[in-house]
Amino acid sequence: MNMADRAWDTRRSNTAQRLARARSALGAVLAGKLLPAAHINDLLYSVLEPGDRVCLEGNNQKQADFLAKALASLDSTRINGLHMLLSVLALPEHLDVFERGIASQLDFSFSGPQAGRLARLASAGKLNIGAIHTYLELFGRYFIDLTPRVALVVAQSADRNGNLYTGPNTEDTPAIVEATAFKSGIVIAQVNEIVDVLPRVDIPADWVNFVVQSPAPYYIEPLFTRDPAKISELQILMAMMAIKGIYAEYGVQKLNHGIGFNTAAIELLLPTYAESLGLKGKICKYWALNPHPALIPAIEAGFVESIHSFGSELGMEEYIRARSDIFFVGPDGSMRSNRALCQAAGHYACDMFIGSTLQIDLQGNSSTATLGRMSGFGGAPNMGADARGRRHASPAWLKAGQQARDRKSAIPHGRKLVVQIVETFREHMQPAFVETLDAWQLAEQTGMPIPPVMIYGDDVTHILTEEGIANLLLCRSDEEREQAIRGVAGYTPVGRARDRRMVENLRDRGIIQRAEDLGVDKRSATRDLLAAKTMKDLVRASGGLYNPPKSFRNW
Amino acid sequence: MNSYLESNARERIHGLLDKGTFEEFLPPEMRLVSPHLAQLDAPVSFDDGIVIGQGLLCGTRIFAAAQEGGFMGGAVGEVHGAKLVGLLKRAIAENVAAVILLLDTGGVRLHEANAGLIAVSEVMRAVLDARAAGIPVIGLIGGSNGCFGGMGIVARCTNAIVMSEEGRMAISGPEVIETANGVEEFDSLDRALVWRTTGGKHRYLLGDCQTLIADDTAAFRQAAYDAMQACIETGAELTLTALESEQRLLENRLHEFSTHTEPMDIWHQLGIPNPEIVPMLEAQAFSEYAAQYRLGA
Repeated sequence: MNMADRAWDTRRSNTAQRLARARSALGAVLAGKLLPAAHINDLLYSVLEPGDRVCLEGNNQKQADFLAKALASLDSTRINGLHMLLSVLALPEHLDVFERGIASQLDFSFSGPQAGRLARLASAGKLNIGAIHTYLELFGRYFIDLTPRVALVVAQSADRNGNLYTGPNTEDTPAIVEATAFKSGIVIAQVNEIVDVLPRVDIPADWVNFVVQSPAPYYIEPLFTRDPAKISELQILMAMMAIKGIYAEYGVQKLNHGIGFNTAAIELLLPTYAESLGLKGKICKYWALNPHPALIPAIEAGFVESIHSFGSELGMEEYIRARSDIFFVGPDGSMRSNRALCQAAGHYACDMFIGSTLQIDLQGNSSTATLGRMSGFGGAPNMGADARGRRHASPAWLKAGQQARDRKSAIPHGRKLVVQIVETFREHMQPAFVETLDAWQLAEQTGMPIPPVMIYGDDVTHILTEEGIANLLLCRSDEEREQAIRGVAGYTPVGRARDRRMVENLRDRGIIQRAEDLGVDKRSATRDLLAAKTMKDLVRASGGLYNPPKSFRNW
Repeated sequence: MNSYLESNARERIHGLLDKGTFEEFLPPEMRLVSPHLAQLDAPVSFDDGIVIGQGLLCGTRIFAAAQEGGFMGGAVGEVHGAKLVGLLKRAIAENVAAVILLLDTGGVRLHEANAGLIAVSEVMRAVLDARAAGIPVIGLIGGSNGCFGGMGIVARCTNAIVMSEEGRMAISGPEVIETANGVEEFDSLDRALVWRTTGGKHRYLLGDCQTLIADDTAAFRQAAYDAMQACIETGAELTLTALESEQRLLENRLHEFSTHTEPMDIWHQLGIPNPEIVPMLEAQAFSEYAAQYRLGA
């Protein structure tokens, strides 16, 4: 074929055909871009074609649940072979589309509550998995080779022209809509309400084809709320070691926290323990983090300068509105989150990630995918990856890089601190330290080409347990590294197999540090150190602005 | 540690009594454990989940028992119940000034079936016997298990109940209601609703508990002493007049509120000006705000 004969706008003309089909099928029912909820299936039949790549919005917080239900209810003799792009498999409908033969191919990031059923469907041949991505990897592919043909997204409200206000939980919407709308795709949004004037425009109407008001507000999960009443003294001891042995040691200013009780304990020790060490203004000023309620006392105490967020958190809306110096809020006063931007920011601009995991092996590889529970990674792998392309210096980043280079006269190049904070035994007395990750067996069972590792060992710089801190940057051989990990693995089989003399030698060199080496008094690790001991204390600290979900109240 | 909620049974009882004066009866080293649990391969506890003994409360010799909510939810089995009954009987024999029950329990220990049920009914009888002998029995409720099932009835057999707002008291627990009657009837995961329905503030407003205090062991100590003094002045015995007045109160409650499903509506009907602010009020401010609207006040 002569190049001059090739049509260069097939996608665009195909989209025009689909939109024309929709207009003719819906006729007067369609008011501009606004569609009544009862006609959603007619719309989907008009704009979808078998084999389409469809992005259905939903992450670990908000869900396009109305559109998910509609998609799962379609007739598979008419619409089938869809290739689903999903950040998170959270709702039953996310898998119903495969069970019912509407979709067959899947690329995703996190499977949380649907993990078991996903494995069953995969082994029954109901779906093929392209890959398990981190959020950023999946978003990246939207702009390279996995651009959605149709995107089903969710927003708080729309105006009558189809402009969208996403509210505090903007999250994945911009990345999905941008990729779809600018490559001739079709964007359909479900909204909670249609209003005359939006508080602010998060997605312009030009990028949206259809808007439907869902019969019920979209589902949202308060995933980042940790009740301070459930923080244990062991977690407080580990938090004290983290603050003194890592945050103060490196002067960590820019960071991201995982979502566990361990890191909530650190947040609640900032205004008490860290303050008593004179660390205010010296650590933890800039954050890439969802608005964790556990941060309220540290914000109120003046520790925190800035927080950019992946998503929001239920109940924090009024507090955020009243603290516009700290959070990224629009002119209307409400927060705008953005998962893609915050992931990129955390990857390239943070000096430290600290989070937990379920299993760590002797190379420091870690995974939350274990036998019987495949909870996925979400964005943690990117936060826990050392961004080797980074080019701006900070004291913490440079110090970590210097330790890693062992005083060799190489060109100055820093390192991101990646800290795994785990108790040696997790729930049901399962050891967190293992010779071999369950991920190997999972990969074999599900036909994945690589074991699902959350954070690779070569990115991990420190492992912190109740037994102490292992600084892997200072290890000079694989053998030292293995013994450093065994040295903080406590009474697990991996810990008990340590070489006693080598571990003592590592301790003499400061590679392993126990609480007493750090000057942390174990007897002072009590709940009295927490800046808030209950949810109500958090409300008090916020001056009544934080409004916790009812599932977290005991008043 | 000053949070009553976060303390265990021994921390609570030591914090309640004058420093260094508590003497435990049938202490842990005697290993009085349930004979039933072992047969079921269930774990036993060295004290069967309850601490009993004597000590001084602001200089007055009293008996006290504290349930350990951390062992099987403070549930009452044969040995647990027998320790409570024995304490109350000995209180009568020695004519002590008062018995204080630090309740933290889900009710009867179902594993022990009839033995547990009999134990709970014996505790009720012993409480009434003690009162008949002129010995005040005071219930303190502020643990994380609250006070449910048969022990909820025991609590209401005492002279006075002191609660924190975190404390809860009822017969059927939220999960039991949800299981029996469905989530539409009662959503046990809606913790705010659970506390509005069974928590200390609601019990205070309905006249089921006499004093509402902050979650603080020293506050429980002071309130227990005040309740004991009040009983010593008015007399501990359960009188016909008191029973009749209680009956009228309950009939009135049934008549006034039986169609309500939301506690806040009841508070509104009681005349509280802004019932929506009640959950967030601190104990002292709440008592000042609400005391005049309380039933039986």
